[in-house]
Amino acid sequence: MDLDLNVRKEGDHAVLGVGGEIDVYTAPKLREKLIELVSDGEYHLVVDLEKVDFLDSTGLGVLVGGLKRVRNHDGSLQLVCTQEKILKIFRITGLTKVFPIHSSVAEAISDSAE
Amino acid sequence: MASSEPASAVVHLAFPPEPALLGTVRLVVGIVARKAGVDEEGVEDLKVAVSETCAVAVGDLTWAGLSTPIELDLVEEPGRLGVEVRDRAPAGEHASSMPEDGEVDDRQFGLALVGALVDGLHSTTLEGGGHSTRFWLRRGREELPPPRA
Repeated sequence: MDLDLNVRKEGDHAVLGVGGEIDVYTAPKLREKLIELVSDGEYHLVVDLEKVDFLDSTGLGVLVGGLKRVRNHDGSLQLVCTQEKILKIFRITGLTKVFPIHSSVAEAISDSAE
Repeated sequence: MASSEPASAVVHLAFPPEPALLGTVRLVVGIVARKAGVDEEGVEDLKVAVSETCAVAVGDLTWAGLSTPIELDLVEEPGRLGVEVRDRAPAGEHASSMPEDGEVDDRQFGLALVGALVDGLHSTTLEGGGHSTRFWLRRGREELPPPRA
C-alpha cells in the first residue's frame, strides 16, 4: 500500500494530485509534502483527491493542518473530489464547511481566484 | 424478513499493531462484508469504521510499548454483520492527544467517525487490561429481527 503524490503548477497554484489510500500509515507522507510545499512558498494549494480510494481521520487531520499552514500566509487550500464515499467522510465530520470542495481542478482554481 | 437463525460464519483476524497492516485488514473486511450481503455504501462505511478502530488500538499499544496482537471478529448475525475489535493496551494508556502542529486530535476524530458510520457502538475495558469495541452494520435491506432479551 502506498500513496502516490505528484505536484504541478497551474498559474499561481500548486496542484497536488493524490492517489491511493490515506490512512495512519501513509498520511505522514502527505503531511511532509504539504509542509514542503508551504516551505517552498506555495501558499495557494489545490489537493486533487479524485484518485484516493480511502481516507481516514488521520488524513483529514493532515489536510486541516495544511489548511492552517497556508492560511498563516494568507493562502488557500482547495479540494477536488467527486467520489461520494470520500465526500461522505467530509460531510460527517463537518469539514465541508471548512474546505471548499470542487468537482474539477479548473473549478477550484477559478473559485480560489475570485 | 425476520429470522431466528443462529449467529454463524465468524471470521477471526489477529495481527500485530503495525499501521502498514491496516490496508490488508480493510481488504479482508471488504471481502467479508460483500460476501455477507452488505451493500457497497455499507462496505465502505465498515472499512472506515474497522480501520479507525484498529488504528486507535495500534496507537494505544504502540504508546504502551506493546506488540500484542489486535484481534478482529466479523460475525454474520441475522440481518446484520457484527464487529468486535480487541486489544490488550492498558486502560488509560492511549496515544493522546498531542496532534501535529496545526492539526486535530485524530483519536477523537476517528472515534466520532466510527459512531456516525455504524450502529450499536459500544466499548468496554477487558479484565486484565485492554479494550473491546463492538458495533454492527445492517446487511441488505431486510428488516432486522427484534433484539434478543
